[in-house]
Amino acid sequence: MESILNALVSGFVSGSLYAIMALGLTIIYGISRVFNFGHGIVAVLGGYLAWTFFTRASLPFVVSLLFMLPVMYLLGWLVYRYAIRGLMKKPNADFSTVLFMLGLGIMLENIILQIFGPRVKAVPELVTGSIMLGAIKIKNHELALMVIVLLGIIVLTQFFKRTRMGQAMRAVAQSIPGAGVVGINIERIFGYTFGLAFMVTGFSGALLASKYFMIPHIGWDWMVKGFVIVAFGGMGSIPGAVVGALVLGMAESFTTLALGAVWVWPVWFIMFLVLLLLRPQGLVGGRN
Amino acid sequence: MKKLNLTRNTVILAVVLLLIVLYPLLGAKPYHLHLFILFFIWAMVASSWNLLNGISGINSLGNIGFMAIGGYGSAILAKTFGLSTLITIPLGGIIAMVLVTLFLGLPTLRLKGVYIALLTLIFADTLPTLLTQTRAVTGGAVGLHEIPPFFAGAGKIHNYYICLAAFLVMLYVIHRLIKSNTGLAFVALRDSENLATSLGVSRFRERLKVFAISALLSGLAGGFYVHSLGDISPTTLAIEPFLMGIAMMELGGIGTLFGPVLGAAIIVFGSEFLRLADVLRMTILGGLICVTILFFPGGLMQAFRKLGNLMDRRGKRKRGESVQAKVQSAD
Repeated sequence: MESILNALVSGFVSGSLYAIMALGLTIIYGISRVFNFGHGIVAVLGGYLAWTFFTRASLPFVVSLLFMLPVMYLLGWLVYRYAIRGLMKKPNADFSTVLFMLGLGIMLENIILQIFGPRVKAVPELVTGSIMLGAIKIKNHELALMVIVLLGIIVLTQFFKRTRMGQAMRAVAQSIPGAGVVGINIERIFGYTFGLAFMVTGFSGALLASKYFMIPHIGWDWMVKGFVIVAFGGMGSIPGAVVGALVLGMAESFTTLALGAVWVWPVWFIMFLVLLLLRPQGLVGGRN
Repeated sequence: MKKLNLTRNTVILAVVLLLIVLYPLLGAKPYHLHLFILFFIWAMVASSWNLLNGISGINSLGNIGFMAIGGYGSAILAKTFGLSTLITIPLGGIIAMVLVTLFLGLPTLRLKGVYIALLTLIFADTLPTLLTQTRAVTGGAVGLHEIPPFFAGAGKIHNYYICLAAFLVMLYVIHRLIKSNTGLAFVALRDSENLATSLGVSRFRERLKVFAISALLSGLAGGFYVHSLGDISPTTLAIEPFLMGIAMMELGGIGTLFGPVLGAAIIVFGSEFLRLADVLRMTILGGLICVTILFFPGGLMQAFRKLGNLMDRRGKRKRGESVQAKVQSAD
């Protein structure tokens, strides 16, 4: 019983982290239909930047998180402006953007490896200590992470709902020609979208790094997990990413409990396969 | 004009082929033979991958997985059951074909675009876990070593000719396939699915076919890989070989017959030079992919075609001039 409760809690914690990680992916895909195959490395880069501000400039960790965000935004905008924008106009944009981001990811990963070395970087916990809930022990850090993730999701949904920029992004997501007709500058929106998504991704990377460990290569693991989550929940849908992340986070912790950690991937693959056969648009996704 | 072009290309091909055939007899070092063997195998992998991604426009990212299945299948059959490689390599290919058609071909029938890329990538990503979990059969994380060679006492030079022959046969098969009705159907589905299906091309059948063929050929390449190199481990499925495969297709020219072969040559021989750069190698490989996609989307084949056209045009002009000169002298 106790172990089941523990698995439930840990599933919830990793699920909420996966949710914020998957958000960056789903934002780009939902609005610009570009699938970011460099996602994992963007997340890792965010983690390393936050770590650099934290250790080299000896800022408090929360402040270094805030410093990292504009850098990530700029990077996202640059990638769109100088590479993806041109590729999207060409035939076979689907796959060429995938390959471009993949190549960029590999390049960035190895640059990070050159600068920071292969050793594990420790990102500090936000709050130390832990509390007991009945028989289960929860770290304060994990609680803080869940609260941050929840706040982040609320801020993002409100941004998409209330602000003009968010509404313009939604309009582009619904119909590119339609949005163009009402006077939205599509390319500018795409640029902002990439910036926003890279920012969210970098932020999630820093959070993930504080829960798990961080080496340059870990980004590929995070990314493939993110892929399964967004496809599972429904690509381009924010509630989909959250639901998918929670379901798969639970599946992960219960698989670990029942069979061992190595079986997580095969279980995810089977779940993914079954879902794609029954509902190719994902759990929450609408008609495509 | 077209006829002239054909003969020139044929002559170049024949000379290159002759050099490759004669190369081991001219006293090549074993290490260079090894590089050529790698090139033949990679050219097979890239060509069969290109069948999916280039010819049929199905964005598979899992072909290294297909190759690993074929390789493991053949290696296990040969090592534990002591079967002849004449049987095990085709069997390995068939195992890869059946598994891939079942687990990827059928599910992707309902999927489009990036979903296929995702599913195939995750398929290939699941394999290392399964391999490390079935240590008794597959050797786990260490992999399989001392896999029997093609035949007892086969050396580098035998491996060279066997892989060369396999590569040539496979390239010929792919060439025939592209020219056949099946190949035309693949291309038609890639270029306009609606038009193709309205003309009676069965999307269901053609897609299963292309997955089956690509997996069979990749699996066979995997068989040649294990028996000429002697070992295989889950690191075959790491990110580097995967990226190398993609770089080969893109660099050489995706969707063409010789593009992947050319790309394989550049990457296999080029990464020998890059060995000096050591850790920077992956950075360069990634950068190469980026630059090719951004600036040379058709790869080297397109560049060659442009060059060929340019030479033709210049040749035409020259001949035109000489005709003019004759006319003038006749005056």
